[in-house]
Amino acid sequence: MINTLLLQAPAETTRYLVAGYTVIFGIMSLYIISLVVRTRNLKRQLVMLRELDQERK
Amino acid sequence: MESKPRMLTILDGITILLFLTAVGMVFFYAPLEAVMGQVQRVFYFHVANAWVGMLGFMVAAIAGIAYLRKGDRKWDIVGLSAIEISFVFFFTAIVSGSIWARGSWGTWWTWDPRLTTAAICELVYAAYFLLRQGIDDPDRRARFGAVYALLSFISVPLTFISIRIFRTIHPVIIGSGGSGAEGSFDMSPRMLQTFIFSLITFSIIFADLLWHRIRLGKLAEEAENLRLKTLQ
Amino acid sequence: MEPISQAEKQLTRKSSAPGLGQFIRAVSAVIWKDLAAELRSRELLSAMLVFALLVILVFNFALELDAGTRAAVTAGVLWVTFAFAGTLGLNRSMAMEKDRGCLDGLLLAPVDRSAIYFGKAIGNLIFMLIVEAIVLPVYSVLYTVNLFNPGLLLIILLGSIGYVAVGTLLSSMAVQTRTRDVLLPVLLFPLVIPILIAAVKGSTGFLQGVDIADIRPWINLLLVYDVIFIAVAFMVFDYIVEE
Repeated sequence: MINTLLLQAPAETTRYLVAGYTVIFGIMSLYIISLVVRTRNLKRQLVMLRELDQERK
Repeated sequence: MESKPRMLTILDGITILLFLTAVGMVFFYAPLEAVMGQVQRVFYFHVANAWVGMLGFMVAAIAGIAYLRKGDRKWDIVGLSAIEISFVFFFTAIVSGSIWARGSWGTWWTWDPRLTTAAICELVYAAYFLLRQGIDDPDRRARFGAVYALLSFISVPLTFISIRIFRTIHPVIIGSGGSGAEGSFDMSPRMLQTFIFSLITFSIIFADLLWHRIRLGKLAEEAENLRLKTLQ
Repeated sequence: MEPISQAEKQLTRKSSAPGLGQFIRAVSAVIWKDLAAELRSRELLSAMLVFALLVILVFNFALELDAGTRAAVTAGVLWVTFAFAGTLGLNRSMAMEKDRGCLDGLLLAPVDRSAIYFGKAIGNLIFMLIVEAIVLPVYSVLYTVNLFNPGLLLIILLGSIGYVAVGTLLSSMAVQTRTRDVLLPVLLFPLVIPILIAAVKGSTGFLQGVDIADIRPWINLLLVYDVIFIAVAFMVFDYIVEE
């Protein structure tokens, strides 16, 4: 502890921390959202396609 | 296939819990680094993301071999899912790494082995997606995807080694501090704990996302089969 | 189609002969077919050669090279040239195969599929070496640099082998896709980066008279790469050409 006081204080880099984690959380969220959206779309398509398939039979 | 397996819901819960704990550790438990300051906290998730990237690549290569030997299309879905996830996580690792570099020692990009190799992996994945896009026959698409995943998985470590022999300024993270490499820092016990916990958390996140993505892949395959059948 | 049917006859005639002999015969048949076809039309070599010389010319204007800088970048310029011209050769070699239906003919022959791979790869290697053999003296003359350095020639050989080993594999995949020619460089370049790094550093080392001990890691890297990928190609080629 005393060492830190005797040497320089750590660099003021909080804004980079914020930027870094915004990117990390942001990209992860976007990906998860994309998975949800794609799943929903596919399920909808499958319902339609299955109906079509039944009609043809 | 429609209903979500109970195991998956449990895994989702565990994943979220671990993730929240990891975030808490990063921001409140891990100590402030003496030289770089707050931005050093980015390091924990930056490395965890890169780790997931590598995991994904490995899973894809193994899935590729499995597909070539067994011919079961489910391995192709596993491979594609692993590479997609790996692509996203490597991208996150690269951007967060760039931000960390900027915050710690002033440059947006360092041509060091790890960051450069991650960037090359992204290009490999882009090539993988382009390759698949150019093939209509599902079996051939799976076969070529498997071959390319395997070839690139072998080539990337060689790339890493060659760049490493070429130059290095990436920090040495564990053990000896001040070991010549620019920007290295000592990890105190709490930092080490946070670091390892992040790696474990992200490995679980990878498994969870992989499972979800594979389910999506199976839906897509079913849809494609039906489409081919009904829209003859 | 003459050389092709001759090759097929050779293959089927000797189908009762023991494995290795038959394999070598098959490989030679493929190489000879490519060389013979090229001797008649010369379309592949001329395309590669003109392209390589143009690239060197473009570099002359793109990089303002004074004598000092030139020594440092010669290896880089040469290898970029070889990489691009090599892509051209790989593409055209496989495309000719596909377009003339020779690939199917070869696949019908009762011989191990990897013989086709080896035949094509060695053929591609020969073409690449011919182009390099012409580009080197031309570059020497244009820039008054002595490139007749045995170490350099060794690096060029090892690098070309690795490049062609992976390139032949990937071009046989690329030729079966819709995007074809455009896809090969995209697939190939990320994978041959170890070759490019090792070859450029090795070449520069030999050209600048660096101590051999410092160049050894690069030579080793090239050797390791070549061995690994030739072995992998052996195992994987069947899956690329199966129907």
